[in-house]
Amino acid sequence: MATLSLRRLRKTFGPVEVIPGVDLDVGDREFVVLVGPSGCGKSTILRMISGLEESSGGDILIDGAVVNQREPKDRDIAMVFQDYALYPHMTVAENMAFALRYRGVARAEIRSRVAHAAEVLDITALLARTPRQLSGGQRQRVAMGRAIVRDPKIFLFDEPLSNLDAKLRVQMRTEIRKLRTRVPTTTVYVTHDQVEAMTLADRIVILNRGRVEQIGTPEEVYETPATIFVAAFIGAPPMNLLRARLEGARVVLDDGTALPAPAHRHANRAVWLGVRPEDLVWRPPGTPAIGPLLHGTALTVEPLGAETLVLLEVAGQEISARLPPRSVRRAGEAVALAVDPARLHLFDHETGSRI
Amino acid sequence: MRARGMWPRHAALLVVCAIMLVPFYWVVKTSLTGENIYAYPPRLLPQAPHLFNYVDVWYLIPFPRYLLNSVIVSLLAVGGNIVLNALAAYALTRAFPGRRWVVLLLLSCMLIPFQATIIPAYLITARLGLLNSWLGLALPMLSTIVCIFVFKAAFEAVPRSLIDAARMDGLGDLRILARVLLPLCKPAIATNVILSFIWSWNNFMWPLIVTRDPLMQTLPLGLARFLSYVEDTTGALYAFVVMVLVPGLAVFLMAQKEFMRGLTAGATKG
Ligand SMILES: Nc1ncnc2c1ncn2[C@@H]1O[C@H](COP(=O)(O)OP(=O)(O)O)[C@@H](O)[C@H]1O
Ligand SMILES: [Mg+2]
Repeated sequence: MATLSLRRLRKTFGPVEVIPGVDLDVGDREFVVLVGPSGCGKSTILRMISGLEESSGGDILIDGAVVNQREPKDRDIAMVFQDYALYPHMTVAENMAFALRYRGVARAEIRSRVAHAAEVLDITALLARTPRQLSGGQRQRVAMGRAIVRDPKIFLFDEPLSNLDAKLRVQMRTEIRKLRTRVPTTTVYVTHDQVEAMTLADRIVILNRGRVEQIGTPEEVYETPATIFVAAFIGAPPMNLLRARLEGARVVLDDGTALPAPAHRHANRAVWLGVRPEDLVWRPPGTPAIGPLLHGTALTVEPLGAETLVLLEVAGQEISARLPPRSVRRAGEAVALAVDPARLHLFDHETGSRI
Repeated sequence: MRARGMWPRHAALLVVCAIMLVPFYWVVKTSLTGENIYAYPPRLLPQAPHLFNYVDVWYLIPFPRYLLNSVIVSLLAVGGNIVLNALAAYALTRAFPGRRWVVLLLLSCMLIPFQATIIPAYLITARLGLLNSWLGLALPMLSTIVCIFVFKAAFEAVPRSLIDAARMDGLGDLRILARVLLPLCKPAIATNVILSFIWSWNNFMWPLIVTRDPLMQTLPLGLARFLSYVEDTTGALYAFVVMVLVPGLAVFLMAQKEFMRGLTAGATKG
């Protein structure tokens, strides 16, 4: 049972302001993912929560109590590190028991907790080995086991899967999901991988240069990105952003193509028109036009089996589209795409925020 | 193919080793015979080897007592070096105001020869009332700047996240040092043991100054004293030398595996 709150949390390294001020509330047992490009300050925020790094301003509250001045060990937080940080000179069991030995937990209790965590993570057979004798995925499990045995108020994960190869990463992602239901604990999870964020999070916090761009459920940040940064960050391939003008209830592209605007409050201003590659619908040549179409020329065609990724030129700009298999065959073909006006996103040209 | 390509190199190495070992062999041989080392033609094998020289050394001077003094002083020095250097090095790996200046100060102090500080060192030891005592003999050798930096480099090679993990696990600084850093820096410990042992074991100048009582003297002083006792020195002298060398060799052989790793650390890592 724990809640975590950040209030105007700041961090400067010398003259460099890395985190200008973050506000965040994590509910009890909530799984919040901080996501953003590398160098945006995710680890710094996590380290301030853990107490490893001192904050330069603002407050950190656990269960409503300010913990700014508390040592890491007095915050009751466990952390899983990117490089696992297992003690190489100890066995897996000793690694997992290490923290408990210094917290005055009775021996029998330690043994049963380690055994239980090992069972949950399916590493019982590895308990006598040293970290050197483990594969990357196994080390990752041990690192999580070390956090679980502590039974802390809060889990922190700092890019725990980024050292694994792609296949193992997917597998471990599923494991973490399973773990969430078996060991429900308030969690802050850091990653630069938006897929990881989308699949794991209750809520996602998207960071850009130390600032929060948007906080919301995976659905919210996908469906209604608050800024073009979020729009371009979430989704693969990312959302297409086209220079356009909002003219009354229409959005007009550079080449004169007009589409009905999803929201038509502001007339006559420069905007970014956002449309996801998966919201573009292929119109086979010769089908009658229903509603407005985007016309373009295929630049590259990547048949992936279940779908075909096409990069096209539309109104002098490049956009990508996820089309059905066997739709567009080769580069140079003319392509007509329909789009549901409700799936269009508009962003202010200057500020980049959603209109 | 490869083995054949290697043998000239191995042969060359063997020759070099042999050349390096000749003086030592000569010392051992002479200690067993007492023959003139300048005898011509030189004999390769000892003739009628005996251990009388060793017996002489043991009884002519209080050799056991000197040995005890040397062992105790060297143990103090080794212990002091490990504990104090590790603590100092750990402090130097942490950020604190003026750390750069402390490092600079330490580095520049390395340039000062011991002879230049010997008088203040003597006065301080006297003021502490430690003249003529084991602790006094070990005092200036309890910490060595070079060895602090050996530890510092080793600690810095330990991934930062391990120390973070230890802090999250609830360890204080001393326990991080004792339970995480030192177990992972055995080569640095071995380097500290060997260097501080050798320096203390071979030290002549300092013991000469701070000991008054002949019974507090260490082996190098005993050697000097011994020379003034014995007339036909050759055999006994060489026996003495062997007896002084052997403990040092023993320490080295025990620690050498880690020592080598310490000296070549980083050389082979990807
Ligand atoms: N100890 C430090 N001293 C100076 N700058 C730092 C330090 N730690 C991190 N930074 C800077 O802070 C920014 C954020 O770093 P970090 O939180 O590690 O990013 P992320 O985890 O999102 O990749 C980076 O620009 C990095 O260079
Ligand atoms: Mg990071």
